[in-house]
Amino acid sequence: MKPMVPDQFKERYGQIVDDQDAFFSSLLQQLPKTFRVNTLKASKQIVKERFEEYGIDLKQVPWYSDAFVLQNYAIGNTLENFLGYIYIQELTSMLPPLILQLQAELQHSEFILDGCAAPGSKTTQLAALMKNHGTIIANDIDYNRIRALKFNIEKTGSLNVIITNRDLRLFEKGNNSFDIILVDAPCSSEGTIRKNPTMLSKWFNQKKRISGYANLQQQLINKAFNLLKPEGCLVYSTCTFAPEENEGVINWLLERHPATIEQIDIPRMKLSPGILEWNGKVFNSEIKKTVRIWPHHNDTDGFFIAKVRK
Amino acid sequence: MITECSPSDQEMVLNYFKERFGIQRQLFNGFSFYSASKGRIYIGPKNLIEKPKPVTGGILIARISRYIKPTTIFLQLFGKDVTKNTIRLNKEHTICYTQGEDLDLTGNEIQDASNGYILVTYLGFSLGCGLLKGNYVKNLIPKPKRLDLEFL
Repeated sequence: MKPMVPDQFKERYGQIVDDQDAFFSSLLQQLPKTFRVNTLKASKQIVKERFEEYGIDLKQVPWYSDAFVLQNYAIGNTLENFLGYIYIQELTSMLPPLILQLQAELQHSEFILDGCAAPGSKTTQLAALMKNHGTIIANDIDYNRIRALKFNIEKTGSLNVIITNRDLRLFEKGNNSFDIILVDAPCSSEGTIRKNPTMLSKWFNQKKRISGYANLQQQLINKAFNLLKPEGCLVYSTCTFAPEENEGVINWLLERHPATIEQIDIPRMKLSPGILEWNGKVFNSEIKKTVRIWPHHNDTDGFFIAKVRK
Repeated sequence: MITECSPSDQEMVLNYFKERFGIQRQLFNGFSFYSASKGRIYIGPKNLIEKPKPVTGGILIARISRYIKPTTIFLQLFGKDVTKNTIRLNKEHTICYTQGEDLDLTGNEIQDASNGYILVTYLGFSLGCGLLKGNYVKNLIPKPKRLDLEFL
């Protein structure tokens, strides 16, 4: 059966999106295949030349020169994938490390924590952007997912990564104090509908599920903020449209900690500001500096990012 | 769980890499060596954290038992720095090798490689580790890394 966007979904998100028709129809379109070049092992030039030899048409992503889009090819079965020259990754998942690079946060950062790291897409991208300098702690709560994390760290040659297996909420402070922390939080994942269209048929009033995630996310961001050095930078992200899990969580943080929100700018990418009101609750006006990525704007998944300074 | 590698194990591995593959030890400046159970040796970042206990650090480069056995991931990453004990495969053999098959070669591909662990290459790309005995190459590509290549 062809998936359809449920009315409740339309009602919920129609009120905060700029172009309802474009948004709802984008959810029914297949997501293009994308990858980034793993610059720890290969140059863009080599990868482009090799794909040209295969007759595979690559399109460079306008806002990230290491990333490419292509249609209908099994790139998993290329020599470049076997060698770890490329890393198959959704475009939106590349954003948190990219923002850190664009805003020169990585240059002076020696100690980074990726709090919910498995399967390692952002960790390995960070390692590449840092050219294997400094130290990245890639932490994940789920021991089974550590296997995938380890596999990807090894495949990409990410030498500067240490894996830990801990619930981030219980992560020991000890002498640990991080320059940068990434929290790509577990979430209701509505932004990945294009990849998993069956989610639409299962989508109904998600209130309970969303509030469960929001509660967890508050605990995670609270802990991460406490693990940051003074002046340290926290990048919080989710792949959901739910304001309770996005702006709501940042608002919760701002109500409890002396945090500031920083503007995010990604040249040549269309970004929407975070919303300032949801279900009658008015958020801190700083939240307009957070970013929503709507699928119909850049032909991607849906995503949310906030850059927080301690 | 990983711990600091003993100086003697580190020396042994570095000497082996130099003697067997011509890999210079200076390449690892800026990194530290770590040990784990079953003789596993890793290279990773200089700074470890005490708590929570690290599961691994960096990448697995070798296992020490009766012999020193380099890993495929190590040779893929440092293959361009290998100066000896390399074999060059053609396209057909590369497809078989990346699927996990052992190879019986004619001899031309082996060049001056001697029996023991070798770097297996295709068009200058480092595919990984193999164990050479005469004309026979035992496949040492770990199972999860094996692929049926369509484009090469």
